[in-house]
Amino acid sequence: MSKRIFINIVPGKTFLHKLSGKTKVGLFIVCIVYTIMSFDLRLLAPLMFLSLIAIVSLKPDWKVIIVLFIAIFLMNFFNIFLYWVVKPDIGSEWTGGTSTILYSFSSYYFVSLETLWYLLVRLFKMLTSFTVSMAFILSITPSELASGLHGLGVPYKICTVVSLAFRYIPDISRDYENIKVSMQARGVEMDLRKTPILKRLKQTIYILFPLIITSFDRIGNIANALDLRGYGLKKDRTYYAEVEPTLMDKLFRWSTLALFLFCLAWIVSRNIWEPATKMWFPFEV
Amino acid sequence: MKNPVIEFHDFGFRYASQSEPTLHGINLTIYEGEKVLILGPSGSGKSTLANCINGLIPFSFKGESTGEVKVAGMDTRHAGIFSLSKHVGTVLQDSDAQFVALSVGEDIAFALENQAVKRSMMIPQVIAAASIVGMQDFLNHVPYALSGGQKQKVSLAGVLHEHVDIVLFDEPLASLDPKAGMHAVELIDDIHAQGKTVVIIEHRLEDVLHREVDRILVMDEGRIVFDGDADTLLCGKLLPEIGIREPLFITQMHHAGCVLHADDHPSSVTRFNLDPYRASLLNFIQTEIQPKAHYPGEVLIEATNVRFSYDTQEAIKNISFQVRKGEKIAFIGKNGAGKSTMAKLLCGIVRPDHGNITFQKTDLKSWSIREIGEKIGFVMQNPNQMLVKNIIKDEVAFALTLRNLPQQEIDERVQHALTVCGLWPMRNWPVSAVSYGQRKRITVAAMLALDTEVLILDEPTAGQDYRHYTEIMDFLDDLNRQTGITIIFITHDMHLAIEYTDRAIVFADGEKIADDLVVEVLSDNEIIQKANLKQTSLYTLAMRLGLPPETLVDHFIGHEREVKTHE
Repeated sequence: MSKRIFINIVPGKTFLHKLSGKTKVGLFIVCIVYTIMSFDLRLLAPLMFLSLIAIVSLKPDWKVIIVLFIAIFLMNFFNIFLYWVVKPDIGSEWTGGTSTILYSFSSYYFVSLETLWYLLVRLFKMLTSFTVSMAFILSITPSELASGLHGLGVPYKICTVVSLAFRYIPDISRDYENIKVSMQARGVEMDLRKTPILKRLKQTIYILFPLIITSFDRIGNIANALDLRGYGLKKDRTYYAEVEPTLMDKLFRWSTLALFLFCLAWIVSRNIWEPATKMWFPFEV
Repeated sequence: MKNPVIEFHDFGFRYASQSEPTLHGINLTIYEGEKVLILGPSGSGKSTLANCINGLIPFSFKGESTGEVKVAGMDTRHAGIFSLSKHVGTVLQDSDAQFVALSVGEDIAFALENQAVKRSMMIPQVIAAASIVGMQDFLNHVPYALSGGQKQKVSLAGVLHEHVDIVLFDEPLASLDPKAGMHAVELIDDIHAQGKTVVIIEHRLEDVLHREVDRILVMDEGRIVFDGDADTLLCGKLLPEIGIREPLFITQMHHAGCVLHADDHPSSVTRFNLDPYRASLLNFIQTEIQPKAHYPGEVLIEATNVRFSYDTQEAIKNISFQVRKGEKIAFIGKNGAGKSTMAKLLCGIVRPDHGNITFQKTDLKSWSIREIGEKIGFVMQNPNQMLVKNIIKDEVAFALTLRNLPQQEIDERVQHALTVCGLWPMRNWPVSAVSYGQRKRITVAAMLALDTEVLILDEPTAGQDYRHYTEIMDFLDDLNRQTGITIIFITHDMHLAIEYTDRAIVFADGEKIADDLVVEVLSDNEIIQKANLKQTSLYTLAMRLGLPPETLVDHFIGHEREVKTHE
């Protein structure tokens, strides 16, 4: 199961795996903020480069990742293509109003340097958020995620929901498979080629109904199991998965803080103090 | 005099959702360091009693109580579940639900996490608890990679903290195969030997008696009807009356007309003083038994050199066998031996990598799952996973409606199937209103309505007490006799195989290691060892008497059959 969803449940052995949950969650949140705020290749390119190095260092199963990467790339490429279709001069608004036309199909449809640049930066932004997320997902286990979130001040009951979900999703999907098979044997046709999509959707209820009943039984038992071991007893709770911070953790946490301050400064200066109307454009005339 | 740790005084309890009390007038004292078995059929109130000890009542289950319960000196109504959980550790029946964390270490640490113990102090305690149950080398393992027995060990380690001195096991054997169950009983005994007070809730008496217990409390209809030692209990007539299965060898002694005496220690098949009974037992096996009627019908299913692998793991290694019409066959083997995979192959849920399976000489390859489903019906272990309709007759008609049969034919077939299964008077009842055993019947009826010729039942009696076990199995037995339907039971229950099947195919590590009459298979110690199953007490009894085990088993089955036909 864990193979199929490429999430680590057992902590890995590489450098990034060994960082504590809190360090990883904190860094991830700041990196995402950083990606969202920047529409500037000078900021995006280094982060993308670093997150690619991080992915390589995590020694992942490349097969899955490359497939995913290609899918994300194509989707976003299509997305920016649509941007161009709708508004071929979109880049000019952001680079200072000029249009350096490189090729023109008609008076409306043309390819300008400014638009190309704008779309390139947009693509970069999307891909960076993908590589950052990927590096994060590959480096963390669900337990570390829960403990890390708690370390950053999220109430532990919410963190438990996260880790319980990861714990029971494979069980529920196994039940789902079992029920599906028994329904098929009773004559519910689920072959993709033979059944129209609407009918298949309607038939999903034949699986969901027993699945919900079985899951409810389980939820009651889980709730008792939690109560019997004193869950919810105290205001705070510790985590077995939260390893003691090492020197590396401290280094990373300080870097995270520095990056966070930089983000803050950037947001204040560029978005609040004096909202920027232009993006960085190296070919400006 | 030892300290009482659990005390019930005139205790009664009624669930808020029920009109009648579940427990009446319970007076009970359990002393420090005792090992007590609470025995009773389903619905006798034994689980309710357990929930009163660990504090789930009144914390999670609301209701009205009378009298008082004191556990570790605290009144459970005022102490709260959290203070109780520091003294009472509960191992739940469903070890999957109790495993709430994502690794063994984390799960054992769960209670410590909740008490906000520092991680540096937590680790040594986790390792210590894991070592007690022998799981210290598995701390990084995920729950999905563990067997049922291992999960249960983790559950146990998870409640063994420094202050816990009472350990409560709620049906610890329900989800384990016999060998794993035997290890669980041994482990419970080890925990007891370390000075803990142990309370076991079970209905599988014979398996618990694998190790000695200090005292047995028998519950029936919300009352304690027996409080004493195992030897006295086995000499009485109480067990069959309330629907608890006696150990197999005790049943055998009764068949032979022996009157048991508590002084001879009948609670242990190995320590039992057999001398006073030897003569009647030897006499018993001299009696003539009718040879079992055998009808070798035509070959229905034939598997030839079947191989199958999940990913890289070979689950079925070159297996061949035949199933004849009207047979009752047991696929036995421990969990993971390949018996369930073989059943999936028969139903077309997965397909063989090599070799083939034929049904009446037609290769199953040419049929879809749905077409195979009309010949070979698969009844899942948990009926709740199969039921989709609200009303019983709609459930049975479900597969027929999907096949767009004419309404009149559907009605006829549904009526026939429901009548055969004894459900016709209940046809308009909602599925949710009937018992577990009846739901099982509904799933069987749904298969019969399709006119299936073979039924495959996956652990049909798992988690059922003896009364429901007998009810389900007798029903299937009658069905086989009346309609001539072929039935394959997937089971690790040797008692089921002995009493209800003709032939057993034994699986071990994906191989077929035996295919013979049940008597022969069970009398062959080598096969049982190889399949990692547990030998029945009949075998042990035969060994102690110096008799060939097959003779004893044969007479046992013969006698059971006679008793049944006389009823």
